[in-house]
Amino acid sequence: MAQAGVMAAAPAAGADREATVFRIRALTVVCLLAAWEGLAALGSLEILYGDVIPSSWKIAVAIWGEITAADFYRDLGITFAEHIVGFVVGSAIALALGISMGLNPLLRKAIEPYLNAIGSTPKIIFLPILFLIFGTGIDSKMAKGALSAFFPVVFSTALGMILINPVLLRVGKSFNLNRWHTVTKIYIPAMVNPVITGLRLGMAITVIGVLVAELKFADGGLGYRLGNYYEQFRIAEMYAIILIIFALAAVANMGMTRLQVYANRHQGGSGAHSLSVATN
Amino acid sequence: MADILEISEVSKTYDLDGENPVQALDRVTLDVAEGEFVSVIGPSGCGKSTLFNIVGGLIAQYEGSVRIDGRAVDGAHRDVGVVFQEESTFPWRTTLDNVAFPLEVQGMGKPERDERARKFVSLVGLEGFENHYPAQLSGGMKQRTAVARTLAYEPRIMLLDEPFGALDEQTRMLLGDKMLEIWAALNQTMLLITHNITEAVQLSDRVVVMSFRPGKIKEVISIDLPRPRSSEVISTPKFGEYVGRLWTLLREEASRGMVEAEAELAAR
Repeated sequence: MAQAGVMAAAPAAGADREATVFRIRALTVVCLLAAWEGLAALGSLEILYGDVIPSSWKIAVAIWGEITAADFYRDLGITFAEHIVGFVVGSAIALALGISMGLNPLLRKAIEPYLNAIGSTPKIIFLPILFLIFGTGIDSKMAKGALSAFFPVVFSTALGMILINPVLLRVGKSFNLNRWHTVTKIYIPAMVNPVITGLRLGMAITVIGVLVAELKFADGGLGYRLGNYYEQFRIAEMYAIILIIFALAAVANMGMTRLQVYANRHQGGSGAHSLSVATN
Repeated sequence: MADILEISEVSKTYDLDGENPVQALDRVTLDVAEGEFVSVIGPSGCGKSTLFNIVGGLIAQYEGSVRIDGRAVDGAHRDVGVVFQEESTFPWRTTLDNVAFPLEVQGMGKPERDERARKFVSLVGLEGFENHYPAQLSGGMKQRTAVARTLAYEPRIMLLDEPFGALDEQTRMLLGDKMLEIWAALNQTMLLITHNITEAVQLSDRVVVMSFRPGKIKEVISIDLPRPRSSEVISTPKFGEYVGRLWTLLREEASRGMVEAEAELAAR
C-alpha cells in the first residue's frame, strides 16, 4: 500500500522539483548579470578594474559586430575546419587502435603503459614540437586537434571492448555464431555506447586543443581572433568571441548528447545523462 | 522412448599448470530419453558445469563418449541450446528481437522469424511485452525472454544452467510451473543444473545426484510424482520424502565441499 502511495505521489513531486530547479537556474542567471553590471558600473566610475568588465550592452553590440563581419566567418571557418579534420583523423586512428587492443590482449598489455603515460600528460607540452613539424598554419592546429581527440576515444573504445558482458559472448557461442555474426550482432551493438561516450569527450577536448594552439601561434581562427582582441585591449570584442565559442561548444555538446540518448534509447535514455556533467 | 543423449564413461581432468591435475569428472554414465526432464544436482565443484560444457560442445577434449541421436559430440554443434544463469538477454534488442535472434543469424527473413518468435514469446507468457527492452523488464521476465530465445533455436536438448538461481524463491516456483507447461507443450528434452533441491523435485522425471570432486554420479532418483505437475505438489508427503532423501545424499557431499573450500582459503 505504501508502495502505491509513493508511486502515485512521484509524478507531482517530480514536476515540483522541475519547477524549483528552473527557478534556481533563472535566478542564477539574473544574479550573475546583476553582479556583472554592478562590477561594470564600478569600472566605468573608475573605482574598480577600469575597462576590464564592459557592460553587457557593450558586449551585445560587440557580438552583433562580430556576426556581421566578413572576416569573422573566415576565422570561424578556419577553426571549424581544423576541429573537424583533427577530430576525424584523431578519432579514426583511436578507434582502429582501440578495437585492435580489445581484440588482442597482448597488444594491449604491450602499449597500455605508454598510452597511460602520454594520456595523463597535458598535451599542450607537445605544442612546440607540432609547430616545428607542421608550421604555424592550419596544419599544426589540425595535428593538435587529432592529438587531443585521440586519447579519450582510444581509452573508451579499448575499455568498451574489454568490458563487453562475457555472458553475451557465451550466448553467441551457444548459438554457434560465426566470427562475422559475433562481430556484427554482438560486438558492434555492445560498443555503440562506450564509443559515443569517447567521441563526445574527444570532441569537447579537440575544441580545447585547437583553440589553445590558435592562441599561441596562428594567422587565423577564433582563438587567434580572441588573442588579437586581448592584445589590442578590445575587451568587449574579446568577451563577444568567448561567448560565441561558448555557445558553439554548447550546441555541439547538445548534439552529441542527443545522439547518445538516441543510441541508449533501450536503456530508458538514462545513459547519457550522468556523463553530461563530466564533459562540460 | 529412444535415448536422445547417451553419456558413457565420461572423464575429464584439468591440468592447468602441469603439476596439480584436478579430476572434474570420473566415469560418468547417463542416458536421457527424448522428452525427459532430468536434473543434475550437487555441490559446487562436482563437475556439473564441465559435464554441461562437454554436452554443449564447448569442451572437445575428454575421455569416454557422448552421443546425441547416436552422433558423437566432439566440439561445437547445434543440437543443444543453453539458458544461462546470468542475465543474458541483449540489452539493445526488444523482447521480440531477442527471441528472434537465433532465427535471424540463421538467415530467416524478418516476417517469418517475427511470426515464429511471437509464438515463443506467448509460450513463456510475455505477450504484450514484445516491444519492451530488457531494461524495462523484471529479472524473471528477462529469464523468460532468454528461455524463449533458446526455444526458438529449437535445440534437440535444452540445457538449463541454474536459470532461476538469481531469482527469489516465489518467482522461481512460478517460473518452474511455466517451465513445466512449456515442457509438456513442446515435449522438449531438458537437462537442468541446479543447487535447489525443491526445484529439482518440482520439475524432474529423474534427479542425478553428483558427488564432490571428482564428479561421479552418486545416485539417480526417479521422481514418481503425478504429471501434469505444478508447484502445489510441494504440499504432498511424497514431495517431502524426495526432498529429504536428496538432502541426505547431498549433505555429506556439500559438507566435504565446504571443508575443502575453507581449507583452500586457509592455505592461501
